Amino acid sequence: MWKQVKKIGLVAAAGVMVVPLAGGVSTAKAASLAKNQTFKMMVPTELTSMDNSKTTDLYAATIQNNTGEGLYRLTSKNKAVPALAKSVVKSTNNGLQYTFHLRHSKWSNGTPVTAQDFVYSWQRTVTPKTSSQYAFLFEGIKNAAAIADGKKQPSELGVKAIDDYTLQVTMEKPVPYFDLLMANPTFFPQNKKVVEKYGSEYGTTSAKQVYNGPFKLTKWNGTNLKWTLVKNKDYWDKRKVKLNKIQYQTVKDPSTALNLYQSGDLDDVTLSSEMAKQSANNKDKVIRKMASTFYLEYNQKKIPAFKNKKIRQAISLTINRQKLAKDVLSDGSTAAKGYVPEGLANDPKNGKDFSAEAQGAAEKAAVAYNMKKAKKLWAEGKKEVGIKKLNVELMGDDKDSSKKILEYMQNSMEKLPGLKVTNQNLPFKTRLSRSVDGKFDMVMTAWNGDFGDPITFMDLLTSTNSYNNGKWRNASYDKNVSASKNANAANPDARWQNLLDAENTLMTEQGVAPVYQQNEFHLVNSKVKGIVYHQTGASYDYKTTYIAK
Amino acid sequence: MADEKMQLPKDAFEPLQATEQLNSERIAAPSLTFLQDAWRRLKKNKAAVISLWVLVVIIILAVGSIWFSPRNPNAQNAAYANLPPKIGGGFWGFDGKANIAGAVVDAYKQAGVPKGTYYILGTDYLGRDLLSRILFGTRISLLVAFVATFFDLVIGVAYGMISGWYGGRVDTIMQRVLEVISSVPNLVVVILMIVVFKPGIFSISMAIAITGWITMARLIRAQTLKMKDQEFILAARTLGESTRKIALKHLLPNLSSTIIIQLMFTIPTAIFFEAFLSFIGIGISAPNASLGTLLNDGYKTFRFLPYQMWYPAAVLSIIMIAFNLLADGLRDAFDPRTRG
Amino acid sequence: MRKYILKRVLYMLLTLFLIATITFFLMKLLPGTPYQNQDKMSASQIHMMNVQYGLNKPVWQQYLIYIFGMVHGNLGISFQFSSQPVSYLIATRIGPSLQLGIQAMIVGSILGILLGAIAAIRKNTWADTLATLLAILGMSIPNFVFAVLLQYILGFKLKLFPIALWDNFSSSILPTIALAMMPLAETARFMRTEMIDVLNSDYIMLARAKGLTQAGVVWHHALRNSLIPVITLAGPLAVNLMTGSMVVENIFSIPGIGEQFVKSITTNDYPTIMGVTMVYSLMLVVVILIVDILYGIIDPRIRLSGSEVNA
Repeated sequence: MWKQVKKIGLVAAAGVMVVPLAGGVSTAKAASLAKNQTFKMMVPTELTSMDNSKTTDLYAATIQNNTGEGLYRLTSKNKAVPALAKSVVKSTNNGLQYTFHLRHSKWSNGTPVTAQDFVYSWQRTVTPKTSSQYAFLFEGIKNAAAIADGKKQPSELGVKAIDDYTLQVTMEKPVPYFDLLMANPTFFPQNKKVVEKYGSEYGTTSAKQVYNGPFKLTKWNGTNLKWTLVKNKDYWDKRKVKLNKIQYQTVKDPSTALNLYQSGDLDDVTLSSEMAKQSANNKDKVIRKMASTFYLEYNQKKIPAFKNKKIRQAISLTINRQKLAKDVLSDGSTAAKGYVPEGLANDPKNGKDFSAEAQGAAEKAAVAYNMKKAKKLWAEGKKEVGIKKLNVELMGDDKDSSKKILEYMQNSMEKLPGLKVTNQNLPFKTRLSRSVDGKFDMVMTAWNGDFGDPITFMDLLTSTNSYNNGKWRNASYDKNVSASKNANAANPDARWQNLLDAENTLMTEQGVAPVYQQNEFHLVNSKVKGIVYHQTGASYDYKTTYIAK
Repeated sequence: MADEKMQLPKDAFEPLQATEQLNSERIAAPSLTFLQDAWRRLKKNKAAVISLWVLVVIIILAVGSIWFSPRNPNAQNAAYANLPPKIGGGFWGFDGKANIAGAVVDAYKQAGVPKGTYYILGTDYLGRDLLSRILFGTRISLLVAFVATFFDLVIGVAYGMISGWYGGRVDTIMQRVLEVISSVPNLVVVILMIVVFKPGIFSISMAIAITGWITMARLIRAQTLKMKDQEFILAARTLGESTRKIALKHLLPNLSSTIIIQLMFTIPTAIFFEAFLSFIGIGISAPNASLGTLLNDGYKTFRFLPYQMWYPAAVLSIIMIAFNLLADGLRDAFDPRTRG
Repeated sequence: MRKYILKRVLYMLLTLFLIATITFFLMKLLPGTPYQNQDKMSASQIHMMNVQYGLNKPVWQQYLIYIFGMVHGNLGISFQFSSQPVSYLIATRIGPSLQLGIQAMIVGSILGILLGAIAAIRKNTWADTLATLLAILGMSIPNFVFAVLLQYILGFKLKLFPIALWDNFSSSILPTIALAMMPLAETARFMRTEMIDVLNSDYIMLARAKGLTQAGVVWHHALRNSLIPVITLAGPLAVNLMTGSMVVENIFSIPGIGEQFVKSITTNDYPTIMGVTMVYSLMLVVVILIVDILYGIIDPRIRLSGSEVNA
């Protein structure tokens, strides 16, 4: 999904964690715990909704992950472990059916969590009336797409409560990442009575909902900048929960965040690039890796010269990605190696990372920095197109980091003789709507993986996808992507090869120019241990977090 | 006797020389126009004169930097990023030393800057010369201010004069419109301009202009209302002058003091507003700079690289202070009550 | 008097109506939708969402619904906060902004009046120069620079006040100071000019001739009479405080309305932009009205007839 609107990705790859998590807290003896188990956390934006059918951002998903509980939880290595389900179940009927046995647990209002709560929640999310923006995650479950389209009734969804504690899910086609989905807050249960009681106000304040996770949300009036998670006394596994409180505070100004961190008012802050650069030697530094790629799109419809491959290649070769990531961004971000980010997904056959496997010589050359070659290709390209000069606009977000990158890239690109680049920094949503409407020449855009499969990236650049803003078209690319979704859907190896081929075409043809993979720069109090972090999706799990003495 | 003529000797009257007659009426002091008079009085106000000169110097430097910039304000050198100020061999405050994690180090040495290369006000995050950027930024800020001021002048003065001159229903309607426009927060207008036009110097100047002329229109209207019943206007009317001519020849010169003073306040307001827009992230697009964007970049790293905030802040403050003092001086100079 | 106020209130309502109309149609010109992820939504889901936000109706109907809703205090539903009514958003966010604004106004104008009065009484001395310089400096440094300096020096280094956040009264002190600089500067400059005028006027001469002490003259006559025009500053100052508060709220992490306004702009949350615009406009016209009425009550030279008084 688009950067800033990131929610719930399910990343199969290794997550990053702070402390080796061999059972997390069980290794932390009571004696090593600090008296005051309060964790003070900074987030850069408000909590916009707690209704897990409706949320669209990463921060809300993280909080739901800590105040709710689904069938599974994920370890820091993204392995599913049982949560409300008594065990991690294997699919039957060729991957088309799952039967879960639920453990006995309670909502914070005292009523038991049952299989019907799952059925209710899932049906509610898929119903068009709820207009959930993430209902598409249900695709693959029987009738989900048809219900979302209004062609079938919600009750026809492939999910059934056999009895109060047995849940059966029927699939349309096998979904290789199904286990990961079950740990995703979008698939958490909802208490029907509570949802119906509050109607459209459900999940708009901390009082207007119930919780079944390790923590309960309090002091959130729906629009304020701070809220507190307190330990949930009704949680089935409360023994493992060590933190009494997690105090969240929205801080939007990075220098304020740093001041608050250094004076001990916060235990975990995110710093933006310039602050990060200056704190690079801080011993509390933690880099949180993310699965998002920032890439450059050329509007081939508006600027005919961009139809020329050599022109596109030349522009891409002027960008020194290493330097950009290290010296300009300096927030832990890394140079892009390809379109699909590192660590997103692994080869089903040999477990190799997609990005690494896709790194042939041609792909490497496509994201290299080579001014000499760039100038040569540029000269040839100009001749082929028949132009002497090219004036283009480079559009991007108006965040500080984005401004810097654009400034840097503009400077690099203008080293090509006759190329004049004008920068345009716009508010995120304005930038997005202009991108979609094709009102740009070049745009710096970003995508965050929704789940741990390259298709979440590859889909975007097919000829007909509305997010293919540059209108780059390539028949072989389209064919490979389509084959991976249809003809080879049930054949993991062939499907994987399709995706690798598509990436290869994209890179050698320079349909887009990947620039960097974004990471987050944090300062985390060294006394805070046992934070479980996942590269995308509901990033943090604080169930086993504790404050050491 | 009525018929009797008074007899006067022929030499009772003597013709005067043509020149003598005029001389006796002459005022000793040279005659001054209104503006000359104001200028004479302004010169007595030391603060205003100094401000005027400071502004002249700043404008010359800012404009001159198009041709004579110390360095190219957009030339990047990422290896030389965030170098502190240094002059020559270096002396206090300009020694190129930075405090990194508690230890004072020679940032120039660390970055491997060759001897003899130094940046008077340091460099920014992309290794660009801060002095050149400040000159560049000052130019853009002044440009934005002048464009805004120009519209202020054209729209505000015309609107105010029409409203005041015609009075009655025209005035009422125009005042309502004014009230509505002034009640729409300028931020909304700015956003609209950015969406409708391309973001950049033009749309920001336009947005400031569109929202900035209100005060001018109000002041001009009030003055016009007062003046239109005065004798000199009545005389002009009686003599059958056209409305346009009255407005241009009689009204406008008499409004000039109000206009000039108001302009002196509009310019700094525009500069300031642009700085505010930079703060919320919708100012001038990179790599163009304004004092606002420089300050905005600088304040974020203030704790580590204070010079990146202090120098743009100092330039902005000097410009603001100079315009304000000059405006005060002009107001005193034009004000008949302070005539001495 | 009553007739005058009635007429002004009517005009005020008309103005507000016009503003609502203008902003509504302007917002309709802008791109922006409540969806964050329309590509992944089915047509039927998008339709339902449009129905939810009333975006499926023709624009003129949307307009009527909006105006009708506004009269009843319903400003629509925010795009960024799902299911959250804009009126609730404003209601929960306006408190801190008002508190800061009022505190800054009080502190700023009292200090400003003092500073201006001292400058006027000690005209052309070092005290005058200092006060003038201070006032101009207050107008010359952007308030985000002030805010950052205050936070770093008084909050972080000296630990006199909280660095940021919004917990109790003490956390409002630094933002109030940062916000008060502008009104302080403006009031001081205005006050100085007015006071000098008053001190040179005939009735003050008379008072002096009657043998009143300097303190008596200043306290009983000059101060009061110069205060009257200063009241007219309230309108423009209120506007300044609104924009100022956005910056200060952002830096000090205060859950105010200004900060939310900026956010709604950068996220194209049009219902919120419209709602906050209306609230700002309402506050503005009310302040101007109050100032005009006060002006008429305090200054005996001004008689409010049916005609309008322009401040």
